[in-house]
Amino acid sequence: MVALGPAPAPRRSAQRTWLWGALLAVPTAWMVAFFVISMVIVVLLPFGRTTNDGFPVFSTSLDNYRALWNDVYLELFVRSVLYALATVVLSALIAYPTAYAIALHGGRYKNALIAAVVVPFFASYLIRMYAWKALLSDDGLVNSGLRGSGLGDGIAFLNTPWAVIGGLVYGFVVFMILPIYASLERLDVSLVEAGKDLYHGPVRTFFSVTLPATRYGLYGGALLVFLPALGDFVSAQLLGGAGTYMMGNLVQQQFNEGQNWPLGSAMTVGMMAALTALMVAYLRATSTQARET
Amino acid sequence: MPRRSLERRPRTAVAVTVLLFAWLYLPILAVTLFSFNDKKSLSAFSGFSLRWYHDLAHDQALLESLVASLQIATLATLGSLVLGTMLALGLERVRSRRGRVIGAVTLLPLVTPEIVTGVAALLLFTGIGLKLSLTTVVLAEITFSIAYVTVIVRGRLAGLSTEVEEAARDLGCTPWQALRLVTLPALVPALLGAGLLVFALVFDDFVLAFFTTGVDPQPLPVRVYSSIRFGVSPAINAIGTLMLLVSALLIVAALVLLRLFGRGTSSLELITGGERR
Repeated sequence: MVALGPAPAPRRSAQRTWLWGALLAVPTAWMVAFFVISMVIVVLLPFGRTTNDGFPVFSTSLDNYRALWNDVYLELFVRSVLYALATVVLSALIAYPTAYAIALHGGRYKNALIAAVVVPFFASYLIRMYAWKALLSDDGLVNSGLRGSGLGDGIAFLNTPWAVIGGLVYGFVVFMILPIYASLERLDVSLVEAGKDLYHGPVRTFFSVTLPATRYGLYGGALLVFLPALGDFVSAQLLGGAGTYMMGNLVQQQFNEGQNWPLGSAMTVGMMAALTALMVAYLRATSTQARET
Repeated sequence: MPRRSLERRPRTAVAVTVLLFAWLYLPILAVTLFSFNDKKSLSAFSGFSLRWYHDLAHDQALLESLVASLQIATLATLGSLVLGTMLALGLERVRSRRGRVIGAVTLLPLVTPEIVTGVAALLLFTGIGLKLSLTTVVLAEITFSIAYVTVIVRGRLAGLSTEVEEAARDLGCTPWQALRLVTLPALVPALLGAGLLVFALVFDDFVLAFFTTGVDPQPLPVRVYSSIRFGVSPAINAIGTLMLLVSALLIVAALVLLRLFGRGTSSLELITGGERR
C-alpha cells in the first residue's frame, strides 16, 4: 500500500515511518479518487457515445477521436495555439522590463513593488476580465475619452482577436513576471559588470550576459502563461465573439449547450495531448541546455 | 553596496513598469468608482450614490449566491488545509521513490488548465451518481487547493529543524504527540497564510465552480458570469467591487501574517515559491 520505509532498523524509526506513511496515505487516496480517476474517465469517455436520450455511455468506438480531425476544429486549434503564443510573446515583452526595473532598480521598495504586481492577480479573474471589458466597451471610458477629445467616433475594440489576446495577457502576465523576477534576483551583478568591460555598451551587455543568464526564468514564465492561456474560454467569451472562439469555448459548449460529453472529452484530451507534447519538449530542451552549460 | 554600473536607470524598463501598473489598476479602479455612480453611465461620473449597493442588498438570489460562495470557500479551505498538511508532512518525512512520485502527481493540478480539471470533475461526479450541488463544488475545490497548501507548508517544514521534535521523542512523547505538540504549533503561521490564500482563490474561482455546480443556489462567480455575458451594468460594478474588497482584505492579511511570522522567509517567497536567500 504505502511506503513502509527502507528497513526495520530501530523500533522508533519504524514507528515514525508508520505515522508518516499513514499521513501520506489519506491525501494520496483522495488525489487518486478525485484527480487521477477523473482524468482516466476523460481519456476513456471519448471511446463512448451518447444514447438517444442524451446520456453518455462507455463503449469502444473511435468516432469521437476521429471527429477531432475536421476543418472547423483544426482551425480553432490553430487559432488557440496562435493566441496563446501571442499571449506568451506579449507577456514576455511586458514582464521582462518590469521584472528588470523592479529587481535591479527597485531599491528598498523592491518587495513592496513586486507585491503590488501580485496582489491584483488574486482578485477575481472574472471581475478583472469584466473591468477590462467595461473599459473597452462602446460606451466605456476609453471610447468616450476618444470621442470627447475629438479623435473620431471611437473604436470597436471588443470582438477582435487583440481584445481576446489582451485579456489573456491581462489575466496571466504575472506568471511571467514572477519567474523572471526570481532569476534576475539571483543574477550575479559582477557578471554584468564584467560584461560591460568586455562588450562596451549596455545593450550588447544585456543581450550577451543578462538575458542568457536569466533565460530559465523566461522559459518557465512562457510555460506558466501558455498553459492557462491555451485552455481559457472566459476571455474569448467576454471580450470576443464567435470569430475569436478558442478550444476552451468549444469544450465548454459541448458540455453546456451541445451536450455531447464524449466529443467534449475527446476535445479535452486533444488539448491535454498538445500541452503534454509541449511540456515534454520544454523539459527536454531545458535539461539538454542545463547539461551543456 | 554601491553598484556602479547599474546606477543608470533603464528608462524604457521603468516606463513599461509604470504602464503595466496603470493597466493593472485602472480598470479595477474604474469598476469601483462607477459602482458609486448615481446614473447608469459607465463613462461619466455624475454624482455619488449607493443605489446599486442598495439594489444588491435586496436581490435575494444574489445574496444566496454570496452565502453559498462563502460556505464553499470555508469548507474547501478547511478540507484542503487538513489534507494538504498531511501530504506535506508525509512527503517531507517519507523520502522514498514512491514519495517523490506522489509528490509529483499532487502538483499536477497546478499545471493542468482549469477547464480540464473542471471537465474531469464533472465526469467523475456524474459517473458515480453524485448530484451536482454545492457539495460537488467543495470536493472539486479541495482537490484543486491541496497543492497550494502542500507547497506552502513544505516550504515552512524545510526551514524547521527536526531536533526539537527528536528531543520531544527522547523525553517520551509518542510520534503523534511530538507532531501535535511541537511541529504543528510551529506550522501555524504557514497554515494561516495558506488558509487565507486558498479562501481567496476558491471564493473567486469561476471555472471549476462553473463545471461542478448544480442549479440552485449558484456560486457567486457563476452568477456574475451569466450576467456579464449579457453586458456591462452598474449593478455588476457593485458586486465586482465587493468581490475585489474580499480578495484584497484576504491577500493583504495573508501577506502581513506570513511576513510577521515568517522570520527570514519573506511572504512573497512563500507565495511565489522562490528560493530562500
